[in-house]
Amino acid sequence: MKVAVCVKHAIDETELKIDSSGSPQLRGAASKMSTFDKNAVEEALRLKSVHTGEVAIFTVGTPEAKKTMKEALAMGADRGVLITADPMSMETSRTAELLAAALKNGGPYDLILCSEGSSDVYSGLVPPMLGEKLGLPYVGYVRKIEATGQTARLERALEDSIEVIEARFPLVASVVSEINEPRYPTLIQIMQAGKKPLQEVTPEALVPGLSPSPSLVTGMKAQAMARKKVVFEGAPDETAKKLLDALASEGVLPR
Amino acid sequence: MTLEIAEGKSPILAIYSAEHRRLMEMLHPAGHQEYSEMLASLGVFLEEEILPISPKLDTGEVKIAGPRKKLMHQGICQIPFPREYGGLGLPFSVYASAIEMLGTADASICLSVEIHNAVAEGLNRFASVNQKGKYLPSLLSGKSLASFTLTEPASGSDAGSMATVAEKKGGEYSLNGSKMFITNAGEADLYLVFAKTRRGPSCFIVEAPNRGLTFGEDLKKLGMKGSRTSEVILSDCRVPEENLVGEEGKGADYAKEILHGARIIVAAMNVGIAQIAYEKSLGYSQDRKAFGKPIAEFQLIREKIANMKTEISAGRLLYLYASKIKEAGGDFASEASQAKVFATEMSLRVCDEAIQIHGGYGYTTDELHRHWRDARLLTIGEGTSEVLRMLIARREMARSQ
Amino acid sequence: MSVRLWAFSESEAAANDVAAVSSVLTSSAGGSYTVVGVDEAGAGLAGEDKIVLRGTEPLAGSPEATAEALARAAMDANPDVILVGSTRNGKEIAARVAVKLGLPCVSDIFGVSLSEGKLRGKRNIFAGKLIAEVAAPLPCVATVKLGVLSALPATPAKAVVRAAGDVKSKTRVAERREKQKGTVDLRAAKLIVSAGRGVKKKDDLAMIYDLATSLGGAVGCSRPLSSDMGWLPEEHHIGLTGVSVHPDLYLAVGISGQLQHVAGIKDSKIIAAVNSDRIAPIFEASDYGVVGDLYAVLPAIMKEIKARHH
Repeated sequence: MKVAVCVKHAIDETELKIDSSGSPQLRGAASKMSTFDKNAVEEALRLKSVHTGEVAIFTVGTPEAKKTMKEALAMGADRGVLITADPMSMETSRTAELLAAALKNGGPYDLILCSEGSSDVYSGLVPPMLGEKLGLPYVGYVRKIEATGQTARLERALEDSIEVIEARFPLVASVVSEINEPRYPTLIQIMQAGKKPLQEVTPEALVPGLSPSPSLVTGMKAQAMARKKVVFEGAPDETAKKLLDALASEGVLPR
Repeated sequence: MTLEIAEGKSPILAIYSAEHRRLMEMLHPAGHQEYSEMLASLGVFLEEEILPISPKLDTGEVKIAGPRKKLMHQGICQIPFPREYGGLGLPFSVYASAIEMLGTADASICLSVEIHNAVAEGLNRFASVNQKGKYLPSLLSGKSLASFTLTEPASGSDAGSMATVAEKKGGEYSLNGSKMFITNAGEADLYLVFAKTRRGPSCFIVEAPNRGLTFGEDLKKLGMKGSRTSEVILSDCRVPEENLVGEEGKGADYAKEILHGARIIVAAMNVGIAQIAYEKSLGYSQDRKAFGKPIAEFQLIREKIANMKTEISAGRLLYLYASKIKEAGGDFASEASQAKVFATEMSLRVCDEAIQIHGGYGYTTDELHRHWRDARLLTIGEGTSEVLRMLIARREMARSQ
Repeated sequence: MSVRLWAFSESEAAANDVAAVSSVLTSSAGGSYTVVGVDEAGAGLAGEDKIVLRGTEPLAGSPEATAEALARAAMDANPDVILVGSTRNGKEIAARVAVKLGLPCVSDIFGVSLSEGKLRGKRNIFAGKLIAEVAAPLPCVATVKLGVLSALPATPAKAVVRAAGDVKSKTRVAERREKQKGTVDLRAAKLIVSAGRGVKKKDDLAMIYDLATSLGGAVGCSRPLSSDMGWLPEEHHIGLTGVSVHPDLYLAVGISGQLQHVAGIKDSKIIAAVNSDRIAPIFEASDYGVVGDLYAVLPAIMKEIKARHH
C-alpha cells in the first residue's frame, strides 16, 4: 500500500513568546512538526506494517522544515519531498495546489493522509482542497481506517455523530488525534533517518508560471487576556469562603 | 503541597539545551549535527515521558520497571557500544551527554541505567567474543537488565578485601558471600559479580534466576528512591566455568577500569540533577514576590543564581573533558575522578541552594528537596570523594617526582 | 458598499448563527443576505431570502454532494460572499466550493466586517495565543465561528428551491451513530465545573459532579481525563481539539492550565481555579484562584455553599 502523508513544520505554539508590547516573537522561535501530523504519520506507518508498502512524506516548507521531514523519516517513513516555499506566505489553496502537483511524484498513492489541522493556524482547509483538486474521494476527521483490498472503511467523528464511510482507494483523508498514539523514533532510527532520500523541489519546477497568491493574513497580535488573576492562599475553609464571596460579587453564582 | 509539573509540558527549558548543543559543536566539528539531532529527540522523549512521572517514582506511586523499559527501548544503552552488538558506536561524550539529560529527567532511572551500562561496558572490554555475543545484544536492546555487584557489607572502597569467594567445583564455580548496596538487585537478569578465587578477585556472569542467589529487602534510601537497592546473598550460587569473565585474579583491575568510565557518567548525572534544581530555582525566583517585587531582583538571590550557573557549566566541561580523553584512548582516570569529585559536590551545593531559594516550600516539598536527596548518594557511591582525591593527589605526586 | 451574501449551513444548529453574522455584516455594510439550506430543512431558517438546494438524493450528510450543489447554484447567482457555519462538515463544504469556484477561502472567523472590497475577520491561531487578522478579497468563501453572536430567531418564509440536479458522492455513508447526548451540551452551559489531572482517581469525580450539581452546572474536563484515561466521554473534553465553551462561570479543578485547554475557555465570563501548585499556568488565565489541595478545598466549598443556602 502506498501512503503519502502531508505534514507541516510549524512554530511551536507552546514556546512562542510575546514581547512587552504584545507582539509575537516569530523570528527565531522554536519550531516542530505540527502536533497532529505525528498522528497522520503514525497511521501511515501502521497501515504500512499491516499491508506492506511505502510511506512518503510531503511538505511545503522553508529549509527548517527538513527537521520535521527527518523526524517523520526517523519514525519510519521511507522518503520525503520538500517543496521549498514558506506556507505562511501563501493562500491555503496555493499550499494545496503545490501538494497536489508534488503528489504526482512517486505516485499513484493509495492513500493521502493529513492531520485534522495544523497546530499553528488550524484552518483545516488543505485536506478537502486536496481531495477536490485531485478529484479523489475525501473523508475528514477520521478516527479509524480499515483497508480490505480496494475498499476502505473509515470511521469519522463529527460533532454529534460518528459516521462509517465506505470508499474506494485511492482517497484523501484527514485524521483526528484520537486515532493513535504516535511512536517515538528510537535513537538508531534517528541516526539512520539522514540516509533516507529527501528530495527538494521548487514551486516553479512543479507548476511553471504560477501567479502570486499571497496569504490573506494582514496582521497578528497577542490575545488580550485581561483576567483579574486574584489568588487566595491559606486554610481551605478561608479560601473557600473568599472564593465564593468573589464569585457572588461577580454575579456568577446561582441564587 | 506538591509542585506539579504542568500537564504535558515541563516548566523548565528544553532538556537538550542550546548551551549543550553549542558545546557538542565545539567538541565534534564534524559529526555534531547528527549527535545533536539525536540528543534533541531524546530530550523530547525525556520531557514527555520521564520528567512528568519523576515525582511519582520518588513517592513510589509509579514503579521504575515500565518507564525504564520504555527508555531503554529508545536506545539509550546503545549509544557508546559497538554496532556489531547492536550499539550505535557513538563517541563517549555523546553518551555522557545523554546521561546528563536523563539525570535531569529522573535521577533514579538514571542511576539504574548507568549501573546497567557499567556492566555492559565491563563485558564489552573484558568478556570473550562468545560471552559478548551471548549477553551484549540483549543488554543493549534493553531486553535484559544488569546489575554491577561489587560492594560488600564490609568492603566498599577497599574492594581488594572482599570476602565473597568463588570455588571451582568440577565444571562450575560456587560463589558464596554477600554483597551490599546493589542497584537493580532483585530486578536484574544478569549480575556481574566479583568474587575471590585462589588467584584473587575475579569477575563472573551470574544469570538470574539462580537457586543460590537471593536478595534482601529494598533498602530505605535517603534519595534515589525510584531505583531498587538491596543486599545480594550468594549461597552456593553455581555458575558454569565459562561464565568467568577474562582471567582469574584480574577482577580488581577490571573493576577499576569499569569504574573510571562510570565516574565520568556519574559526574554527568549529577550535573543533570543540579541542572533541574537550578532551572526550578530560576523560575521560582522570578515568580515569588517579596517586598513588592520578584525575589530575582534581589542581589543576594542573583549571586546564588550566578554561582549555580557557573558551577554547572564547570561541571559539564569537566565531564566532557574527561570524555574526550577517553575517546582519544588516553589515560583519563585522574580527569574522571576530578569530574566526579567536583560535579557531585557541586550538585549538592546547587541543590542545597535551590532549597534555600524556595524557602519554606523548598523544605516542605518532596519534589524539590529530592534533588538534593538524589544527588547526596554520589559523593559516596562509585568511589567516595575521599578515595578519589587520593587518586588525583597520588597521580600528581608521581608526576612531579 | 452593497454586498450580496449567502449564508449557508448544512445543519439547523449552525444556521441561525450564520444568519446572525450575515445580518450584522449586511446591516453595517449595506446589502442583503440569502439563507441557503439543503433538502427540506432549509424551510424554517431565519433570513430575508431563502434558497433550498435539492438534489436527486438527499444532500444532508454528504458534504461532497452539498458542496457541488452549492457551487452550481453560486455559479448562476454570483454572490459576493458565501458564509458557511464552521462545523467539521461546514469547513469541508467551504473548501470544496472555494476550489470549484476558484475563490479565496478563510475558516473559523469571527468579528467580521466588510470594507474596501474585502471580507475582514479575526481567527485564533497558535492555540489561541494570538489573533490573526485576515482579509479576503470579494468574491470569497468563509466559515464563521459558531457561538459568538446570539442566534437570530427563525422567521418562516417562502423558500426558493434550486434544483441541483444529479449530484453524486464518491463515498457512501454505511452507518451513522448519533452520539449519546449527555444531559447537557457544554457549548450552551452557563456554569461548568471542570476536572483535570489533579483528580487522582475516577471515583473522585463524584466530588466534581456533586459540586456541579449544587451550583446547577455541567461537568467538563481537560483532555487527559477523556482522551487518555477515558474517565469521561469525549463530549466533556474542553480545549483546542475539544469543545469551546463560554459559560458565565468556569471552575477549573486540578487543571494546570496548559495552552491547549485554555484555548477552549477563553470566552468564559469568569474563570476560577483550584490547584495545589502556586505556579500552575491556570492562575495566569483565571480571575480568581485558590491555591490548595482540591481534596480539602472542594469539601470546604461544598460546606460553604450549604451554609449560604440556610
